[in-house]
Amino acid sequence: MPTRRQFVLTLGALAACKKSGTGTLKIAVVPKGTTHEFWKAVHAGADKAGKEAAVEVIWKGPLKEDDLKQQIEVVQSFTAQGVNGIVLAPLSDKALGASVKGAVAAKIPVVIFDSDLQGQDHTSFVATDNRAAGRLAGDHLAKALGGKGKVVVLRYQEGSASTANREEGFLEAIKKSTGITVVSENQYGGATTESALKTSENLLSAQNAATGGVDGIFTPNESTTFGMLLALQKAGLAGKLKLCGFDASDKLVAALEKGEIEALVLQDPFKIGYLAVKTMVAHLRGTPVEKRIDTGAKLVTKDNLSSKEVQDVLHPPS
Amino acid sequence: MKALLAKKWFGPLVALVVVYAIFLVLRPETFGRAATLLTMSQQTVVVAIAAVGATLVIVSGGIDLSVGSSVALTSVVVAKLLVRGHGPLVAALGGCLVATLCGALGGALVARLKMLPFIVTLGSMSILRGAAKGLANEQKIDAPARGLETLLQPAAGSLRPPTGVFLAIAVAVLAALLLSSTRFGRHVFAVGSNERTARLCGVPVERVKIGVYAIAGLLAGLAGVLEFSMLTVGDPTTAVGLELEVIAAVVIGGASLSGGEGSILGAMIGAFLMTVIKTGATHMGLPNWVQEIVTGGIILVASGLDRLRRGSATS
Repeated sequence: MPTRRQFVLTLGALAACKKSGTGTLKIAVVPKGTTHEFWKAVHAGADKAGKEAAVEVIWKGPLKEDDLKQQIEVVQSFTAQGVNGIVLAPLSDKALGASVKGAVAAKIPVVIFDSDLQGQDHTSFVATDNRAAGRLAGDHLAKALGGKGKVVVLRYQEGSASTANREEGFLEAIKKSTGITVVSENQYGGATTESALKTSENLLSAQNAATGGVDGIFTPNESTTFGMLLALQKAGLAGKLKLCGFDASDKLVAALEKGEIEALVLQDPFKIGYLAVKTMVAHLRGTPVEKRIDTGAKLVTKDNLSSKEVQDVLHPPS
Repeated sequence: MKALLAKKWFGPLVALVVVYAIFLVLRPETFGRAATLLTMSQQTVVVAIAAVGATLVIVSGGIDLSVGSSVALTSVVVAKLLVRGHGPLVAALGGCLVATLCGALGGALVARLKMLPFIVTLGSMSILRGAAKGLANEQKIDAPARGLETLLQPAAGSLRPPTGVFLAIAVAVLAALLLSSTRFGRHVFAVGSNERTARLCGVPVERVKIGVYAIAGLLAGLAGVLEFSMLTVGDPTTAVGLELEVIAAVVIGGASLSGGEGSILGAMIGAFLMTVIKTGATHMGLPNWVQEIVTGGIILVASGLDRLRRGSATS
């Protein structure tokens, strides 16, 4: 939700159209969407890096959350506009390739963050190692279930590389326990909490979760985790099944405290946004940068929730 | 002057010029670039081609909600055919064929069973979306584009519009001629204005309707081929909500949702106007929610002004 300050700023920009063409570097940051909590933390990190380096950060995602074509259009617009650099979280590892090539051909460097892109045109790739993060969740759930039981995976969305890697990492780790069977792994929650909730409800009833048909659940991002949590709460099953989710929001953390969620794997979205912009600035100012920058992941349970390093990720210093 | 005011496309054209000028004044150093104009024309192509079909449907008194799903299905069919090793032409024609058949089938339900177009296309919207996902195994399909990608991507550094832009213009001109200068075109208007009268006058209402939905299907297919060209993957989740963008373009262009009125040129201007707002908002760094409010406002202002104009013309 926009703050009042943003609103005033926007009106100010509309009315007077503040400064343009000054000497500061302009860096466009293109997320996959703008309404998830996750992207808000990324935004805060990007802004902080922008402030520290004294560059202008333009934050612009696709109008519809997760719309591939609109994201391509945004990148094309920034290319035509001639910003100094583009920082992009591609919705498809292939489809954004041509637009990135176009930007690089127009002498605009591109840093990819959050999700990978095929090809070698981009300067650097800044992200969590998603497969490793998925394994982290798989190992923990296997342990929490005592090595036996029935597990459900609610996938996120067709064609999203970062979540697909988490799902694969999770399955890889969970399948090491021979006592655990994965009873469903082909359902997709879709882009919104609403669609994830509906799919979760159907999934839970299809697998007879109320009568012990499911012991553990994995969800690969914020919207699927929250959708599943709501479905569990509605069915009166929250806390009875072990839900291992991804990402954090106030509601998810509250549910973790209440024991309704077994564990959350946290990426550090603030750090992802921060490092992505920092990397771009370093590149633009002539410092060599690494091709691959890992921003790390952390498994959070009720036990380590209050530790300082977890709290730093949950409430980033801004 | 009076003749000009009476034209359906005149109002939207004024709106386009005004909005364009505003952005030009606010962001002269970037918005006025040839590269920006080129990018905008490219980004309008898919909506524009689909809007040509939708104009025919709306003039005939119908509505087509299945455009977005049809575009997604076509992009999947095209990708599938390319993966199987077929050439770009076969893939494109295959995609268009599927979309045309879907359109014609919907048209048959509307015409023969007298079902409401809104209901029929609401159903086909869901069926085609599901079919696209099933056909694609619920994933994006990576396909070798085999040259199809050049339809909507200009050579790097070149300012010549890609083929898709000319294709859209050609489609619009042909459709405008079809509507204004052929017997079929007059029949479409007649059916949309008053179906009973048209029937009494001997217009083959059923055939006209099936024809209209088949053409709309074909153009949705063509839009789907161009969508594939832009994405270079077959994407079953693409173009959700495209139907509303298309209908907005047609309505901004002066069409009446009760049928019998509409203009291809107006719809093209409407489609371009929405791209201008989208691009201008990006150049200004406006957040998405502002852009959505502005687009909605323009739709209301455009159709409101049209009401006023017609009100004063009849009084």
